[in-house]
Amino acid sequence: MPSYKAPLRDMRFLLNEFTDPARLRSLPGCEELGPDLVDPILDEAATLCEEVLFPINRSGDEEGCTIENGVVRTPQGFREAWAQFRDGGWPSLACDPDYGGQGLPKSIALLFEEMICSANLSFGMYPGLSHGAYAALLKHGAQVLRDTYLPKLVSGEWMGTMCLTEPQCGTDLGLIGTRAIPADDGSHRITGSKIFISAGEHDLSENILHLVLAKLPDAPPGTRGISLFLVPKFLPTPDGKPGARNGVLCTAIEHKMGIKASATCALSFEEAKGWLVGRPHKGLSAMFTMMNEARLSVGVQGLGLAEVSYQNALAYARDRVQGRALNGAAAPDQPADPIIHHPDVRRMLLSMRAEIEGCRALAMWVAQEQDVATRHADPATRDAAEDFVALMTPIIKAYFTDMGWDATATGMQVFGGHGYIREHGMEQYVRDARIAQLYEGTNGIQALDLVGRKMGAHAGRYLRRFFHPVLAYVEAKSEDERLGEFVLPLSKAFGRLQQATAELARRGLSDPYEAGAGATDYLKLFGLTALAFVWTRMAEIALAKEGEDPTGFYRAKLATARFFMARILPRSGAHLAAVMAGGATLREIEF
Amino acid sequence: MSASDRQRAEGPQAPSTGGVNRPRQTDEGGIKKIGVVGAGVMGAGIAAQVANAGLPVVLLDVIPGGAAKAVEKMLRADPAPFMHRSNARRVTTGDLATDLALLGDCDWIVEAITEKLDAKRDLYAKLAPVRKPGSILSSNTSTIPLVALTEGADWAADFLITHFFNPPRYMRLLEVVAGPRTRADAVAAVSAIADQALGKTVIPCKDRPGFIANRIGGQWMQAAINHAFDFGLSIEEADAVMGAPIGVPKTGVFGLLDLVGIDLMPHIAASMKASLPPEDAYVQGLREQPLIARLIAEGRIGRKGGKGGFYTRVKASDGSSIKYGIDLKTGQDRVSEKPLLESLEAGRRDLAALVAHPDRGGRYARAVLLDTLSYAAALVPEVADDIASVDAAMRLGYNWKWGPFELIDRLGPARLAGLLRAEGRAVPPLLERVGETRFYREEGGALQAMATDGSYRPVARPEGVLLLSDVKRRSKPLTKNGAASLWDIGDGVACLEFHTKMNALDPEVLALIGKAIAMGKKGEFRALVIHNEGENFSVGANLGLALFAANIAAWGEIESMVESGQKTYRALREAPFPVVGAPAGMALGGGCEILLHCDAIEAHAETYMGLVEAGVGVIPGWGGCAAMLRRWAENPKTPKGPMPPVAKAFEMISTAYVAKSAFEARDWMLLRPADGITMNRDRLLAAAKARALSMVEGYEPPKPAALRLPGASGRAALMMAVDSAVALGRTTPHDVVVCGHLATTLTGGERDHTEETSEDQVRTLERQSFMALLHTEATLARVEHMLDTGRALRN
Repeated sequence: MPSYKAPLRDMRFLLNEFTDPARLRSLPGCEELGPDLVDPILDEAATLCEEVLFPINRSGDEEGCTIENGVVRTPQGFREAWAQFRDGGWPSLACDPDYGGQGLPKSIALLFEEMICSANLSFGMYPGLSHGAYAALLKHGAQVLRDTYLPKLVSGEWMGTMCLTEPQCGTDLGLIGTRAIPADDGSHRITGSKIFISAGEHDLSENILHLVLAKLPDAPPGTRGISLFLVPKFLPTPDGKPGARNGVLCTAIEHKMGIKASATCALSFEEAKGWLVGRPHKGLSAMFTMMNEARLSVGVQGLGLAEVSYQNALAYARDRVQGRALNGAAAPDQPADPIIHHPDVRRMLLSMRAEIEGCRALAMWVAQEQDVATRHADPATRDAAEDFVALMTPIIKAYFTDMGWDATATGMQVFGGHGYIREHGMEQYVRDARIAQLYEGTNGIQALDLVGRKMGAHAGRYLRRFFHPVLAYVEAKSEDERLGEFVLPLSKAFGRLQQATAELARRGLSDPYEAGAGATDYLKLFGLTALAFVWTRMAEIALAKEGEDPTGFYRAKLATARFFMARILPRSGAHLAAVMAGGATLREIEF
Repeated sequence: MSASDRQRAEGPQAPSTGGVNRPRQTDEGGIKKIGVVGAGVMGAGIAAQVANAGLPVVLLDVIPGGAAKAVEKMLRADPAPFMHRSNARRVTTGDLATDLALLGDCDWIVEAITEKLDAKRDLYAKLAPVRKPGSILSSNTSTIPLVALTEGADWAADFLITHFFNPPRYMRLLEVVAGPRTRADAVAAVSAIADQALGKTVIPCKDRPGFIANRIGGQWMQAAINHAFDFGLSIEEADAVMGAPIGVPKTGVFGLLDLVGIDLMPHIAASMKASLPPEDAYVQGLREQPLIARLIAEGRIGRKGGKGGFYTRVKASDGSSIKYGIDLKTGQDRVSEKPLLESLEAGRRDLAALVAHPDRGGRYARAVLLDTLSYAAALVPEVADDIASVDAAMRLGYNWKWGPFELIDRLGPARLAGLLRAEGRAVPPLLERVGETRFYREEGGALQAMATDGSYRPVARPEGVLLLSDVKRRSKPLTKNGAASLWDIGDGVACLEFHTKMNALDPEVLALIGKAIAMGKKGEFRALVIHNEGENFSVGANLGLALFAANIAAWGEIESMVESGQKTYRALREAPFPVVGAPAGMALGGGCEILLHCDAIEAHAETYMGLVEAGVGVIPGWGGCAAMLRRWAENPKTPKGPMPPVAKAFEMISTAYVAKSAFEARDWMLLRPADGITMNRDRLLAAAKARALSMVEGYEPPKPAALRLPGASGRAALMMAVDSAVALGRTTPHDVVVCGHLATTLTGGERDHTEETSEDQVRTLERQSFMALLHTEATLARVEHMLDTGRALRN
């Protein structure tokens, strides 16, 4: 049976040493966020995840969700776990105090999200979708909608969904067929079919609020004609209770490779009563508010699964004895050595660890900028932070989830044949990780978003928020001899990224096909360079702490940083070569 | 006025040598002085353009003092009818009642009074005894037939119609109608001076109502309005469909009505109804639109009335303005919205796709184009002898990108005929005749147009006109890349053409300049002209490229691009052959700097030069600072000492000054006294070529200059001026930063006036300042704002 312990030491390192705690506390609403306040929250979160969510992860996977006459049941234990989650106030953690939230910043919520994903990704889908619906309603909903529904979402009494996909329209939302007809009372009647709706129907909460993309009768063609509607499963009574059943029905749930305890529903809307959220025909931009946040969260899913897989692979490698170490017997009194002494096993474990810790640091950087973007007093600082978050969103989503898939497969590999056996739990992480590369925009779409929308926007302004601080750091540290072993490879990767960016922008300007052809490799190159930057900064902190390191935490950081620079970062050269090769070899063949 | 009085009256910015502000004259057909009667918008504007051409002009008005007031008003107007304030002194004003004798020595008198036959005939009778024998009389009438104006007149041989377009300075079309009795030499003399001095394209027209442009343009407006009502389009949709897809300015039709005045519509309609036969399609299509009548009754006649029109801008309390548009169905104002039609997307690529589209935009475009194109096709030879004249008139008089026959070719003449037949409408004979072919074709590298007999004849260019587009049609470039080309324009002269978007300059352009210099050094040509036929000569360096490079911190690449520009421009100046710049339209930033490195400039009068870098938070980096210092230092009129050239260059560059004409450019040494100005854009290349050839014999490239710059003390003086501007609230915080770098560069940095400073040393300072400024967030914000909005950010 697998196990899980939240990586609190690393999380506290990131919160208190890697990101600037003073900067976080300078933001309105964050003034009190010192270790005194945050540590207990993280401890409680860890306990919840380790003791409540983790134990029902494998059973939930085995049992899955069931549907009968339109009623969906979650696996055994999920209702009770949700009740504990809700009653502990966890849904309100990062919500607006005006609606009953605790107002904690993303920097802290993100760590909780990672723990949930490690412990039980399927379970995490339910509160995750609710939070997305909360965010869209908070930003775009009319006051009366906010007053009616937000307190319910924040308290966790009611939950939410995002309904975008239809059978004929996935990535291309311009093809949406669901219609919204204005009614006399100012509401709308929604009719159409939606599929792949996570948490679309379940037995956890007494009501479900669907945010639905649909077209008004006078809608312009394509994506410019999509509007967003709020459609509750039960229409609320004046005293805020679930009232009459609305015209939305779950017709089926999907049979999936992974996240089996998450109900993925087909929903049918028939003259369902709904209310417009935001302006007519501007639904896509309202939905993008949710999607950007959701994409960051999906990235964290890759991170969380990689972490739990790593923990179990590490434990197994310490325990399992097979063969003799190549540098002499490590356990001469035993017939064989623990496999952790074998270089290739160490390679696998370090590959996982270097990516995981790097990604966690990068996520923290982005999360803090997200807090700056929403909370900082100075508009120019807010804008700059928002640029940065917009730039990094596709990178976090795609790089992290590809990493999650690779890392969980590597974790299984450490187990050898035992990894393939269900009872060890390692194969579930592989299956659960796979979806993250697909939903919220496939990773190919993320790469196109990066080169098509983010790279060229405002003549590259978003890029400035990454390139300028990184180059400034490299230049500032260029004389630092001890840091040289990290700064030099960082600087090399940065140069590669500059070259690839300039070339891709130049080619893409005259031929979008070329930008598309290089997009995925470019995203990988960007992700690697960003990891090199956060690893160099972590190494700088670790170097300064070498003298006071009773647990060896900082020594391990430095060793992992060196492994990253030596064994992972060189992939940037291959990605650069692929970008520079252009699209010629993709065009040539006739399939 | 004595000479010294005149100097004072002109003020400090006036040129110091008499006559320097005259454009270079060629053969003007003996017309030396011109009179204009009627000081309304048209008459006064025509007089101003005559003055712009360097000729003396008499302007009379029936209202006492009216002509003098009109001149004063023009001096305040924006856009300015005068190309230089000092041109106003060439206008002698007077009253019709008392000063008729002033017209006595005029070789050509233009009548531009009220559109009433009796009033005009009355004036002509009064002019007869005053007019100098052999002088020419013309009317600027837009509605009255020549035959009516000259009925029974014994001066009909001296008379013709010269129909200018508003505003006369900027609109290049001049419709000329000669009567059966008009002297051929009078037509020739007027055409010559209109072409060469006034810069107009003369299109001979028949004596038919509305001549060419207003006849077709008026019918088009009427069709575009009526069909917009018929097909239920919003005004935004109608303007978008009538705009870019068919090559009409973005005002479309309702925006155009707001611009010219909605109250004009009934006048034009009445005049056309009175003068055209009732079966004419224009008259047939006349319809009273109650909404338009209501707007006129309410005084909502468009921009000139101040009460709005179809579109109304309302200022909100926060200073922003909201644009309202009128709903054609309800007549109510509502917030203007960007039109969303699938046909517009289709029309972006292809006119035929727009016309074929089933949505209301497509049906609307089809209806209007069928009406207007078939109407135009039926008007040759009624209004003009050839189709090329009709197309030119619509391009130059209505700013259409393509004339009606060019539009028919884009659509396909057979397709148009098919659409007409499908609706059971008559196909004009000319359209029948063209059949499956096109109205225009290229034959042996020459452009030909179909004549009424079905044969193809060359599209004639006036004597002495040299167009790069004609050269390009008949030859292959000497060399080219994606951004620029080099053409052989004959007699051993090469022409370097930019053809990037908005003619922005980038490394590819620099590379081609470098290649051209190498070819010139090998003797592959004798002289080089830098010219293109784009709307603008060049808007400067490609800012998008520079900003992108700055955003990814590619500082080394940017600095090498700056240095390569400096080296290329320097090499251009030091090349062993003469280089003449021939700009028209905007020549800004790097596009101005390349001109400053030419041996001579032959500028179109409508050239807008300026070193505008400060507007985007940098300073000229391609030798512009060094070149301006040198220009002022080498000008014998500049006061002695190290400071005056620096002060002049600083004043111009720090304010991002743009000259509003070639004449204004002379005030700031952007043009030097020996540089030429050509009034007619079509004659610019020929003039530049002639100038280049005149310099070939014994050509010696200029030597690098040694400058005396004031150093730190000069910098302090300049910054004191900046400080006082700060105190007056005229500058922004980042202006001060930019001025600081500019001051350091222009004063020579660490150097001082006791030593010589080379141009290369100034270039190094330029480059350092440029790079330092590009490292600031405020400069990057300025560049980005300029790219996003086309306007300068004041941060």
